[in-house]
Amino acid sequence: MMSRTNDVYILAAKQISVQPPLSDEWMEAPLRYGEQPYVRAVDPDYKQHFAPNEARRLGKILKRALLTSRQAMTASGIAKPDAVVTATGLGCIDNTELFLDALVREGEALLKPSYFMQSTHNSVSSLIAIDARCHGYNSTYAHNGTSFECALEDTFMQLSRGQIQTALVGAHDEMTPGYFALLSRIGYLGHAPGGFSGEVALSMMLAAKPQERSLCRLRGVEMEYHPTGEALRQALRRLLQGAQCRMEEVDAVMVGLSGQPSNDDAYASICPELFPHKQLLRYKHLFGESYTAPGLGVYAAAVCLHRQRIPAHLFVDCESGEQRGVRHILFYNHFEEKNHSLILLSAC
Amino acid sequence: MEELILQLKQEIIKVLNLEDVKPETIADDAPLFGDGLGLDSIDALELIVLMEKTYGIKLEDPARGREIFKSIRVMAEYIHANRRK
Repeated sequence: MMSRTNDVYILAAKQISVQPPLSDEWMEAPLRYGEQPYVRAVDPDYKQHFAPNEARRLGKILKRALLTSRQAMTASGIAKPDAVVTATGLGCIDNTELFLDALVREGEALLKPSYFMQSTHNSVSSLIAIDARCHGYNSTYAHNGTSFECALEDTFMQLSRGQIQTALVGAHDEMTPGYFALLSRIGYLGHAPGGFSGEVALSMMLAAKPQERSLCRLRGVEMEYHPTGEALRQALRRLLQGAQCRMEEVDAVMVGLSGQPSNDDAYASICPELFPHKQLLRYKHLFGESYTAPGLGVYAAAVCLHRQRIPAHLFVDCESGEQRGVRHILFYNHFEEKNHSLILLSAC
Repeated sequence: MEELILQLKQEIIKVLNLEDVKPETIADDAPLFGDGLGLDSIDALELIVLMEKTYGIKLEDPARGREIFKSIRVMAEYIHANRRK
């Protein structure tokens, strides 16, 4: 509930998603997927990054997490963060499915140990910590669509209170055909033209002190459960006050519009009231929907702040052109209209 | 025996996901663990499951794994002598 006044810095961020991997090419030439409802991530050639024996036992989510983490650490020059905090809605769902399928098919006696080892949610965070030889704080948030915000708030609190100096924050989710089919049946995905499911592997290095090439400042995180309109307004006020920022200074608001009416209707009613006259930005039309997609929204806002410009294709209003000189981007997300989050990012 | 050795190599490559390894590059008498293929203790568990699932051999004493998994040839000879499938 409380905003904290000490700033936190996003030093580096690396992603593997449905956009070109390990790059910010989506800023200039994003990949488009038309009416496809189900899109898998664009994987880099892992053989260029891992020795054959190193990666053979790892599922895709683990390879993606390890590679983005290593690159975020390299880009920030921090080889051993004080903490590793990971968000994942589904964990290693691919290996979980393989393990459970074998359990159903063959019983309990002859199960493959590798699938079992990699079928837990915290396999991701523990693998990163082992690889980085990080013996510090290690936590995994597996809270569906609020996983990333929980991980970010935890990290923000620890950094702003001086408990840690650096943290590797990740958002990692893969989407299997089977799970996509289940989510489609309950109306979470796959029911609207233009909305599609994606996959996420995002690793960001956060720190209490800036570097010359820091992407942006993280000013605060506010989360509300089943808020009234007034409670949301208060949360926004707390966030802005904590950052000593006025709403008029906010250049744009990044929201989680996905193309799914069950998700988007709430934005249509809340945004005009909470952010009157503010330009809205979106990111799920490029990165797709998934439980930890908000991580890619924050990443996209961070890149915009670093480059001091918002490309035209991020604006909800198609008439808007590119905006330059960007200083503050507010991030607003809701999950099933129950969990609402507000995050403020500012240029360094 | 040669047919069983080839089949065993193919099974091991598949089960242990040895993407860049071809059956012909695994020497019949080379050690599976350590210097040879460089397998580890988790691979040993996978091989125990493979033996039971594919050849019906239940390894009652896991300590015998060190001896049975010495090389592809030793493993194939053990399978040939004890298989139930």
